[in-house]
Amino acid sequence: MKIVAAIKVVPDDEAIKVAGDRTLDASKAKEKISTYDLNAIEAGAQLAAATGGNLVAISASYEGATSKKVQKDILARGPEELFAYGDAKLATADSLATAKALQALLGQVGDFDLVLCGDGSADMFAGAVDAQLAALLDVPVVNKVTKITPEGDKVVVERTLDTVVEEIEVPLPAVISVSPEIAQPRITGMKDIMAAGKKPAHVDAIDAVDAAVEVAEIKAPEAAPRKQEIFGEDDVAKFAAALAEAIR
Amino acid sequence: MDFSLTDEQELLLESIDEFAERYFDEDTIKAMYVNHGCPDEIGEAYRDAGFGYMGLPESVGGIDTDYLTLALMTERLYHKTGCMTPFMTAMLAMKDIADFGTEEQAQMIIEAYNESGKCAAALGISEPAAGSDNNGMTTVVKKQEDGTYIMNGQKTWVTNGAVAQFFLIIAKDEDPSYENKSYSMWLVPANSEGISVGLLEKVGQQAIAFTDLFLDNVKLTEANRVGEAGKGFYLLMKNFEFERCLVVAQGLGQAQAAMDDAANYVSERNVFGRPLATNPLVRDLLVEAETILENVRTYLYKCCWMLDNGQSIRSEVAMLKRYATKGCTRVADIAMSLYGGLGYTEEVRIGRIWRDLRGNEFAGGAVEVMSYIAGREIVKKYKKN
Repeated sequence: MKIVAAIKVVPDDEAIKVAGDRTLDASKAKEKISTYDLNAIEAGAQLAAATGGNLVAISASYEGATSKKVQKDILARGPEELFAYGDAKLATADSLATAKALQALLGQVGDFDLVLCGDGSADMFAGAVDAQLAALLDVPVVNKVTKITPEGDKVVVERTLDTVVEEIEVPLPAVISVSPEIAQPRITGMKDIMAAGKKPAHVDAIDAVDAAVEVAEIKAPEAAPRKQEIFGEDDVAKFAAALAEAIR
Repeated sequence: MDFSLTDEQELLLESIDEFAERYFDEDTIKAMYVNHGCPDEIGEAYRDAGFGYMGLPESVGGIDTDYLTLALMTERLYHKTGCMTPFMTAMLAMKDIADFGTEEQAQMIIEAYNESGKCAAALGISEPAAGSDNNGMTTVVKKQEDGTYIMNGQKTWVTNGAVAQFFLIIAKDEDPSYENKSYSMWLVPANSEGISVGLLEKVGQQAIAFTDLFLDNVKLTEANRVGEAGKGFYLLMKNFEFERCLVVAQGLGQAQAAMDDAANYVSERNVFGRPLATNPLVRDLLVEAETILENVRTYLYKCCWMLDNGQSIRSEVAMLKRYATKGCTRVADIAMSLYGGLGYTEEVRIGRIWRDLRGNEFAGGAVEVMSYIAGREIVKKYKKN
């Protein structure tokens, strides 16, 4: 089975500073693999091992993706080859533009059976690239997948929702986005890391991006003042109601 | 001079971060100090990530790694967990066997480790009457008429002694007297008849089981001998230099953990209407601690660089060990002061780190012995005629 893990490279959110005017400063934030994509890579690596198949990675991300370190990080986690765009034009690309870039990268990969996406990206978390990529490729898509079982020319997946687990047969090729619980990311060792440096990585700038969105500004939300409302032991019902209201 | 790390070193350290975060919560660590060891699950995960093979030769399935990288990963693991772990000492004992033993002995040790993820071998060197004065050792191996050998004696301060599957024991050949300087190394299965261990209760470092090791008429054959007869101590001396670097890397990591906690605490703790960190006396303590950490780190990396370039660091590592272990205890002491009374309670981990670091002043050779070694070399260095 030929599996492709679609990965986004993002600035480390823990190192992004919010200035007084609520603008974001990511100048000290190093590039890293988007958190939920780690689960997609691991699921792909396990599936490739179980089927005697092959896993490659594709990534359409900002210029941080040109970092050798992040490429080695991706390849140390299981993929045999990386095809990526690392370009400032992709920094604020919308889901459709990202899906189009991934489609172009899949053209470099050649035939494939399965594209695995994470639950959502750590920066935008739109969770829409999987569906848009599948539409562009004209293949089926399933999200929230927590288990994948290969069966001949199809896979049987478990799609775990809040109140129900659906079992779905998916013909291949297909795009599947996975929930984090599908597989715990591996802790990479030195052998994996050293081997990653020897695996092929094809990273280019992208010719054009139709981002389809004009970015006016990106700002952190305004800090809401604390209400300083104190609930006593006798106020449990009132507290529960206030909590329910707050998260509604 | 380039102080930057390679991509591979940075990725390895990030993997160590993931390992520490996934397996070492504070409750687990507290239990390790009560149970004198880490849970099997953690040992297995360390092995599965390949960390346990780093530093071992490729001939036994190890990952040939430079000394600096080993020190970096040790420092980071101790920094991120704030606790003692048995892994590096266990690796060093395995490395001694891989370096000096036969292929069969090395394979036996590595297979024991592969199967269990537990410490495969522990070193038995010190004795109740022979610490820094190695000649005081009285454990002796005598050849029998049938060609076998009998070992008798007692070892102490055996790190990982309660969990090791094999002991690498250094003993005098034939004659236990002080004058006899003929030593051999022996690889002895822990379940051999005549071997018993007794746990030593320490002030700190309880997460690693130190034991007495009693050797009563333990039968050996030539197959148990490691390296050349009579050259045992000479062989082992070769790895002492890096062992001292590792003690420093461990202490540096834990001292940094104490600094992380305390320096953050004084920024958040308000006294007389302003954060403690604005007080000049508090800042002086912060500067003293940070200076020690920076100096220890730079000197440690330099010593590892020298080792990696084939240079002897006998004198340098003695000075490093003396300065760094005392310095790291001082950092933990400062951290305790910064916390005030809270630092003297078990509500924070500073006390545990302080106790661990105090022990490092003895580990791998007491600081006074380090002064003896380095002092002798300094006199030679500056003497004009």
